Amino acid sequence: MTSGSRTEKQVLEELSKEERDLITRVLQIERAKIHVSAYDATEDLLAAVKEIIP
Amino acid sequence: MRLQSITLTNFRQFRGVQTFDFSSDSSKPVSLLFGANGAGKTTFLNAFTWVLYGTMSEDVEEQDRMVTDSVWRALPIGSSTEVAIELRLDHEGQNYRVLRSASLRKQSDLQPKSSPEVQLWATKSDGSSEIVKAPQEAIHKILPEGLSRFLFFNGERIEKLVKKGAYAEVKQDIKVLLEMEHVERAIAHLPKVDRRLTQELKKYGGDKASEIQTEIDDLRERETNAHSELDGLEADLATLTEERERVTDLLRQHAVAAPIQAQRDAVTNELKDARNARAAAVAERANLIATRGFLAFTETLADKTLETANSLYQKGALPAPLKREFVDQLLEQGACICGTPLIEHTGAWEHVKEWRQRAGLQAVETVWQQLSGQIAPLSSKRAELREDFEQITKRISDARDRVDTLEASKSELDGKLLDDRLEDAPELETRRMDLESRIGVKQQRIGSITSELERIKNDIDKKTRERSRAEVTDELASKARTRSDLVQSVRRALIEILAIRENNMRVRLDAELKKVFRSITHQNHIPTLNEGFELTLHKDVDGVQLPVPKSTGENQILSLSFVSAVSKIARENRKERRAEGQPPKDAGVYPIVMDAAFGSLDEDYQQAVSRALAEMAPQLVVLVSKSQGLGKVVTELMPHVSHLGVIQTHTTAPENGTDHIELEGVSHPYIVAAETDHSELKVIK
Repeated sequence: MTSGSRTEKQVLEELSKEERDLITRVLQIERAKIHVSAYDATEDLLAAVKEIIP
Repeated sequence: MRLQSITLTNFRQFRGVQTFDFSSDSSKPVSLLFGANGAGKTTFLNAFTWVLYGTMSEDVEEQDRMVTDSVWRALPIGSSTEVAIELRLDHEGQNYRVLRSASLRKQSDLQPKSSPEVQLWATKSDGSSEIVKAPQEAIHKILPEGLSRFLFFNGERIEKLVKKGAYAEVKQDIKVLLEMEHVERAIAHLPKVDRRLTQELKKYGGDKASEIQTEIDDLRERETNAHSELDGLEADLATLTEERERVTDLLRQHAVAAPIQAQRDAVTNELKDARNARAAAVAERANLIATRGFLAFTETLADKTLETANSLYQKGALPAPLKREFVDQLLEQGACICGTPLIEHTGAWEHVKEWRQRAGLQAVETVWQQLSGQIAPLSSKRAELREDFEQITKRISDARDRVDTLEASKSELDGKLLDDRLEDAPELETRRMDLESRIGVKQQRIGSITSELERIKNDIDKKTRERSRAEVTDELASKARTRSDLVQSVRRALIEILAIRENNMRVRLDAELKKVFRSITHQNHIPTLNEGFELTLHKDVDGVQLPVPKSTGENQILSLSFVSAVSKIARENRKERRAEGQPPKDAGVYPIVMDAAFGSLDEDYQQAVSRALAEMAPQLVVLVSKSQGLGKVVTELMPHVSHLGVIQTHTTAPENGTDHIELEGVSHPYIVAAETDHSELKVIK
């Protein structure tokens, strides 16, 4: 999965722009709702995917 | 997040409206409050969790008595009063005002359970404020409740953080603080998104692509099932491992106690034998007395009998050695053994008849013969009795001494083994072996599921590649495929990011923990945060790492060091380049509010902890009593203090003594006489 020497920065740099954009959006969405245990992120995440690949 | 001020209204001891300011800069991050026992330090600490989450810690008693007792007592029946706390804070460039309040109507002297409501206002840059909808949700967003255990704590109870069994919870809470929990949640949520996308692919993607997608879906379902089984197994394994640790601990103590235990078993057996031997000897003596005891009293009797017999013999009064039956036969035959005729009433006949009077009966003679024959042996029998009696008495005495000695030994060994946890070693060993075997089974199953998951993952990757190559003519299906590929590659990246963050956080926390701990303690003990998030303490003895049993004081220092490390890493963490994008300026900044910071610490540790505290968090509120906080603590902390205060105790029992506290050369009332019992926040600077 990961070698001990790899960094988060390296992982991000290896991603395409779409992938980077999606990862940022996904984490923003999840972080905003971190305290809501009943939150179903599917719709919001799906919308983010469709925003990046319209 | 930084605290600005807190205002308490009729909140438990704090009567009326009382405010304390915390606003500070990084050069003087400390607010220091003194209070006597019972003044309300713990209440003040709990004011933060109550205003933010509506909760108080378990050590707060009588949690329904929210309104100050004297205020409630003075309130007429049928009237209402308010209990409230207002907290002002700033977070990520925005000022907030949190108000939690409850109105209580008096129906009796007993306070009803309150139902507080929370409100939150955000202040804009132009000074105007607007109410925040879903305030509790917003508060959790600013400061997740799980973090409060690291931020608002009682120094005397903080060692719970490092106790066995707390690791899983601590690890979970730390994940929020160190930006891992939402990554985990994203990893869990993305497959659902993918499932939705691939439904379109299956619908419009043509035969080949649909078939591949169905296979992928099946693999995903197997993956989900395997994951849930793995979660269950890991939870079981954690429980079993914890239980095994507990049993092993007990057995370890047994190992120390084993020689004592063996010695006690031997002594117990020996004591049983000794008691039996003593009882047997006592019984033997009783038998001796019962059967031969009379002999002891025969010495005088025998002497006297012999003397009497001798005297009778001397007097010639003893029966002659002539039997009466023999004389009767001579008289009947009318002739003596010498041939003299024995004619009735003649001289010879009269002479022989006289002998008849002197002759004894056969039976009397026999008895006399026997009795006289027994008198002599009686003396030797008595000597034998004396000898036997002496021997048995000595045996009893020896047996008693042995029992006494063994009883004393057993008592001493019992004392050493008094701890009942040290009993039942064989049962414990059986239990440990049983746990070991159950752990083995679970581990084996975990191993096989992990391999299965790896296989499934490879199969999914393979099928996904096949899916990419499959011909898809429909535009919607083609787009769904591209989106699904994107979601999958993001999920893979997130899994790698999580692994990096977890490992990175642990390594950094461990390093910081070691640094802070070393700066406080004078012992050569080294703390470690292992891969299971367990905090251990060991020492280096000539290159060998030996575990160290942690004292309460050391547990406190360890916990403080850990909190300090977590606080520092959280701040640093947000400054780095993150997948979430650029962080706000004060991201990862949290205040720490601490009651009884120096609970069980020696004076030298108090000084070292005070020094460490000042650097522990960007904002720190310390609550201490006069006995804990004066001296070295004040000397160390004062240069960092921006706000200084006293929680004054107002008491109706001044006979127990009023008191003052001297701070920076000025004396301030600490305990004062009053008409009602309550506390007041006095600002000194």
